Amino acid sequence: MNAGLPLRDPAARGRATALIVALVVLWPLLVVAEFKPAALFDAQNLRVTGNFLAAFLPPEAGREFLGFLARATLETLAIATAGITLALLLAVPLALLTTRVLAVAEIGPGPGQGRAAILHHGLRVLLTVLRGIPELVWALLFVRVFGLGPAAGVLALGLTYGGMLAKVYAEILESGDTKPARAILEAGGGRLQAFLYGLLPGNAQELTSYTVYRWECAVRASVVMGFVGAGGLGQLMDQAMKMLNGGEASTILLAFLALVLAADAFSGLLRRQLAAAGLRHRHAGVGPAGGGVIAALAAVVLASFLFLDLGFAALLTRESAQLIGEFLGAFLTPDLTPVWLGKVAYGMLETLAISAIGTLLAVAAGFACALPASGRLGRYAGQSSRFVLNALRSVPELVWATLTALSVGLGPFAGVLALALHTTGVLGRLFAETLENAPPAPHDALRDAGARPLAVFLYGTLPEIAPQCAAYALYRWEMSIRMAAILGFVGAGGLGQLLYFELSLFHHAQAGTVIAAMLLLSLLADAASARLRRGMAAG
Amino acid sequence: MSFTLAGVGLTHANGFTALADVSLAAQRGERIAVIGPSGAGKTTLLRLLGAALRPTAGNISLLAADPWALSASGLRRLRSHIGVVHQAPPLPPRQRVVTAVLAGRLGEWPLWKSIASLIYPADIAGAREALARLDLGERLFDRCDRISGGQLQRVGIARVLYQRPDLILADEPVSALDPALARQAVNVLLRDAEARGATLVASLHAVDLALAGFPRIVGVRDGRIVFDRAAAEVSETMLHELYAAEGSELPTLAREPRQAVAPVDGGAVLTGARCR
Repeated sequence: MNAGLPLRDPAARGRATALIVALVVLWPLLVVAEFKPAALFDAQNLRVTGNFLAAFLPPEAGREFLGFLARATLETLAIATAGITLALLLAVPLALLTTRVLAVAEIGPGPGQGRAAILHHGLRVLLTVLRGIPELVWALLFVRVFGLGPAAGVLALGLTYGGMLAKVYAEILESGDTKPARAILEAGGGRLQAFLYGLLPGNAQELTSYTVYRWECAVRASVVMGFVGAGGLGQLMDQAMKMLNGGEASTILLAFLALVLAADAFSGLLRRQLAAAGLRHRHAGVGPAGGGVIAALAAVVLASFLFLDLGFAALLTRESAQLIGEFLGAFLTPDLTPVWLGKVAYGMLETLAISAIGTLLAVAAGFACALPASGRLGRYAGQSSRFVLNALRSVPELVWATLTALSVGLGPFAGVLALALHTTGVLGRLFAETLENAPPAPHDALRDAGARPLAVFLYGTLPEIAPQCAAYALYRWEMSIRMAAILGFVGAGGLGQLLYFELSLFHHAQAGTVIAAMLLLSLLADAASARLRRGMAAG
Repeated sequence: MSFTLAGVGLTHANGFTALADVSLAAQRGERIAVIGPSGAGKTTLLRLLGAALRPTAGNISLLAADPWALSASGLRRLRSHIGVVHQAPPLPPRQRVVTAVLAGRLGEWPLWKSIASLIYPADIAGAREALARLDLGERLFDRCDRISGGQLQRVGIARVLYQRPDLILADEPVSALDPALARQAVNVLLRDAEARGATLVASLHAVDLALAGFPRIVGVRDGRIVFDRAAAEVSETMLHELYAAEGSELPTLAREPRQAVAPVDGGAVLTGARCR
């Protein structure tokens, strides 16, 4: 560069190109997602929403209704507990079989290596399918076999969470010190022995902690599954919403928030206890306290199954076996005609558009809330914005979608808003944490040089937090893609709406195509986000 | 910019007294070096002068005004006339050098210009000119985490050159530079202050560097001013007394340990012999 030449920013061309590309991509996404904020302020919509929300006060507190509510709450907890138990039964053998360090054939490689590799990869594919199809879709399918009620929810949780737990268990087992397990295998021990004596001692706490965390997620999931008729609070909420009974809806919402917060606190307490127990003196074997905990757990699980009175025997009747066979047959021969494939492809695009626009809105709103929430604008603003973020986060996307579908009508825009509301709560909190941890020196230096607060933020803080915030946004986008695929069950567009519609018409072959598309989308999201994260870690 | 400190003290919330009963005054255009052993209170003194710390005792007057009696916008305007060279350059690692230098004038620019400059640098020529004075013109479009610690410290100096403040406060501005570059960088600061009639106060660890370029020397130890003399009047005995706690040898450029300086990211910034 010569001093005499006019100076140009070499990055300008790249930035301009990126901006244009972003606009060119964003525009069709906005069109596909039917982004029309004016619908929010449409007089008709405002009146319906206003009336419904006005009916929220006072919450319904009739004795009979509260009885229903208490039963539904218990049912939700029981579904979550029974579902996690099923998931565990599925996940433990699957995890043991897919953990490579437990395979004796890997040593050498020894005899039977080819068979072991086939088993290993085959089971991994099974796990991917199990967790790639959202629990809500499983629930929707099972409702058709078992009828309305908790059995569908328990089975759906068992399958999806079984797949998830097995994958994470295998990851945990392989990430730690694997030498003890290998030593046992080399000394002629079997798979189970190598696990119990080589891997379990080092990983027991992390495995238990993750299981408890998943139980907490299962509580939330079992509420949501009620919306497709799988029992519990969700089903009650669905009925109240359909009848536009605001009073009941608000009571259920409050019960739901209390349940989620309680599950959150309880799981946090359990996990802290677990961490602390790891530091204390240990008994040889299980010990009296451990035995008590195990007995209590067994009692809770048993009580859950008894309370739900699951008719799993129905699985074994000839009638349902035939029904399941028909389902499987239809789904394994999906409709692949060009017309239908085109429709499903548009559904995928719509799902992507909903997730992208929803996440973008949440990034903007999350930032707006994170600034006060990080305590930069005073204590009062900090506390109130943290409260707003917590409230936004505690209501699941699907519940938001029932509300937004009321206020802007059915369609993808309702999904965009629902995703944006929930994700704002999540991202706002993460952004606020990032802000609090940002190094203060650049910020303070600019403030002390007389820069305006906004300029101080843009030049001193934003460059420090941008990479972390971008990573969070990508991670949430991945979750949003999965979520956008099922928001359609309550009429918020995308693949879910297509699936719901085809299933109600008993078009099983067409539904099979949509489920395959959901699986594909979930795999794509997985792969893309893993790649992006690796790229960002590299620089 | 003229300033006056009268009986100024600073006691931290934990009871530690960093400065006690300091009185110091300077006219516009004076160039002062503050020397003294580690932990003497040099950084605290500079932070008080920069209105970045509020004293717990005594009075401060910058440009004939008490900064802590001004309104928020008045304080902001006053601060935009003060430029600080930090020992650890407070530059975000992912920021480009050109942006880091241009940020020097944020206090002067209207808000729209601050935002527009993030999209396309508002004054590339100006930033390049400031960097060129420190032989860094060609690093204009590099990211701050892609240049060496010594270069980063000079980018911090270039930011203050670009700011053109009336009061330059330099807190160990050359601690990461080798002797030749250290001399050059201090000379650039001295010449800039002289040419614009700005006041310069620099804390320096190397005594020879201070005595060579600064007309006035202030010795600080244990939070108090020990002497305040013209450079020619500072004797060997006074210096040995000042550094008595650090052994018999005086810290000079040749003997001073280099410090590693990295862009600010997370916790630890400084690693080196005199890390506090």
